[in-house]
Amino acid sequence: MSNKATIASDWLAGCAGCHMSLLDMDERLVTLLEHVSLQATPITDLKHPPAAGVDVGILEGCVNNSATERVARQMRARSKVLVALGDCAVFGGVPTLRNGVCLRAALRRAYVETESTAEGHVPGDPELATMQDARALDQVVKVDVYVPGCPPSADTIVYALTELAAGRKPVLTGKHLDWH
Amino acid sequence: MNDTVHLTINGRAVQARTGQTVYEAAAGAGIRIPVLCHHPRLTPHGACRICLVEIEKQRGLQPACTFPINEGMVVQTDTPAVRASRQTSLHLIFSERTHYCMFCPASGSGETSDCELQKLGYEYGLDCWSYQPNYKKQWPVDASRRFFVMDHGRCILCRRCVRACDEIAANHTLGLTHRGARAMICADDEAPFGASTCVSCGTCLQVCPTGALHDRQSVYLGNEARVTRTAATCLGCAVGCGIQAITRDDHLLRVEGDWQTPNGGLLCAAGRFEVLEPKPARILRPLVQQNGQKTEMDWDEALTRIAEKFSAAHLVAGVVSPRLTTESLAAFACFFHDVLESSEVGLLEGDVPPLDLGAPATLRDVVDSDCIALIGGNPGRHQKVLHHLIRRALDRGARLLIINDETTALDPWAELHLDLEDISFHAASPFERLKTTYHLRVSGVQQLRKAIGPARRPVLLYGTGLSSTVYAALRSLPDTTRYLPLVNGANALGAARLGLEARPVRGDALYVLLGDDAPDGQPLPQSQFTVVQAACRSAWTDAADVVLPSPTWAEQRGHFINLEGRRLPVVPLLAPPPFVRDHWETFSTLAQRMGESLPPEALAQLAGVE
Repeated sequence: MSNKATIASDWLAGCAGCHMSLLDMDERLVTLLEHVSLQATPITDLKHPPAAGVDVGILEGCVNNSATERVARQMRARSKVLVALGDCAVFGGVPTLRNGVCLRAALRRAYVETESTAEGHVPGDPELATMQDARALDQVVKVDVYVPGCPPSADTIVYALTELAAGRKPVLTGKHLDWH
Repeated sequence: MNDTVHLTINGRAVQARTGQTVYEAAAGAGIRIPVLCHHPRLTPHGACRICLVEIEKQRGLQPACTFPINEGMVVQTDTPAVRASRQTSLHLIFSERTHYCMFCPASGSGETSDCELQKLGYEYGLDCWSYQPNYKKQWPVDASRRFFVMDHGRCILCRRCVRACDEIAANHTLGLTHRGARAMICADDEAPFGASTCVSCGTCLQVCPTGALHDRQSVYLGNEARVTRTAATCLGCAVGCGIQAITRDDHLLRVEGDWQTPNGGLLCAAGRFEVLEPKPARILRPLVQQNGQKTEMDWDEALTRIAEKFSAAHLVAGVVSPRLTTESLAAFACFFHDVLESSEVGLLEGDVPPLDLGAPATLRDVVDSDCIALIGGNPGRHQKVLHHLIRRALDRGARLLIINDETTALDPWAELHLDLEDISFHAASPFERLKTTYHLRVSGVQQLRKAIGPARRPVLLYGTGLSSTVYAALRSLPDTTRYLPLVNGANALGAARLGLEARPVRGDALYVLLGDDAPDGQPLPQSQFTVVQAACRSAWTDAADVVLPSPTWAEQRGHFINLEGRRLPVVPLLAPPPFVRDHWETFSTLAQRMGESLPPEALAQLAGVE
């Protein structure tokens, strides 16, 4: 095995937009892969971070139920450095809009009361994840690096990953710092 | 006493004036200290703690915006301690409410952000918020006002709006309710804004540093980096407020008050918001009434037809709106005077009182006055910004004397309140004269003179349509008195200088120049052949034989004379639609068709009336 930095990523309650932005780095991915090794991502065959752990774990989206919480905790346990990627992971983002209404009301609205729903019911299967308040990643696990943005631009992701691959903590300033 | 203070800011020797704050001294020397709650037009407040700086021999950090300077002071504005404190303040402000930028109309990337809080967040490298708000609490959104919305979730309690309402609009509607984390901006006794004493002048909207206050019309249509700002003049009334017109791609998005002009950022709801309201259908080409309906026609044919009818007419009458530039009014006046040789011309509306009562006052004199007398007129209705300037003077201790038959919004502050009859009664019956002689009734003028007497900078505002006895009486006030006429109708003063005044006209042909004015329920004067030149469709264009397109107020270039007699520039903000012609061009072409021409020198002379 080379001395490349190992990376794993996953998504929680998000829209996959941050991973799309990651792919947006185009040919720069080839250069980046000279320095890092992607171990697992939700858009490749291997989905889960290796049990042996990785150098850098990246999570997109916020924590909003028992399933995403488990994914977040596993990624934290298996990474030396955990990166919160995008506004949902950093601030909570769009999913936190439902925190203002109670969970039951949110579920009823989604599964029963929407205008296009006929005879809907709130799913109650015990195997399903349990809903929680939507929270930023650092409300659940310790986060080492924050990369806000909706989504963060490909430039910003390249910059952050290059810095991490070189063993430095990225400091976002100027055009890289954008929550817009 | 020497009023220069020497201090050192960031190692630089700086000179400033006694009484200035650290922030002002630094700004004067070109040293930037970031602020959120501070606004150069408002009294310093020290609420946000962003401007904290290190001052030698002072304990802890001190707010630059409120801290007065003194001789030999040594200030550091950008040390690690200062930066750390600003970061902490920003983290706390972001954690308080729903400052989630993505949902906010003021949000932007880097320098294109319209939000002062977001810009500081970027500047101080906030890549996360130490204290996550989690958005459990729902902050109310007050959308009860017609033109703009208050989202309390975006509010940082900087109180700029409260101070703008107190100090600029002098309306005292806004305040703060509750304490600490429960503190909220409120109107009156926590009434919904729309049901409060708020007059929707929008001054609070103009000073809000975040997206808490946003305007319904221009929200999401382009942030500051994408728009053009043009200094122009409002043509709504005779006050002639300076405006900043915000345009993008030939659309007027928003109007703000100009800080540099006498209105000092202030506008009324009509000038700031109503100008953006949707208008009736625009008239884009000349229309001619044929077989019971309006048919489009090109300019040439339409003007030829008008020229034929006017040449054949016995007497052509003219009606013109006072909301046009002096140049447009001059072209109209000249066309009637020199080409048609008709004196049957009148203004659609508007009134100018006599202008020779005494030394003229300016709008700034009103704010600086220590005694304001209002005789006739109703600025609260017809010159709203002036009403607020008067209230600002009252806040600073000015006394108010009102002599009026009409109820005005200023009545509660009047120290002396008389009827117009009181001022003119001495010319009445011998019995009244007898009463005066025996001091049974003191003349209104005497009372007014006595009340004005001790004042150092009295200003008298007088309305139109008062009797000559009243005007004569007003001439006999103390010499210190300055006079401001309450002119009705935007450029009525410019029109008056061209000999145009509101009066009924009659003729067998009629030319009505409306611009973008619409007759407010007035009947169209009767005539056999009527031409209406207007920007938008109205009852009058429907009744006309020929309708000509006209530029709107935002498409004209020229001048406008306000009630102070100042000549203000009218700047074109938008390009007129392709087939719309200038008023000047219309009248000169029409004159040519009639075998005459508008004398350019005379026009220039008329238009340039100072």
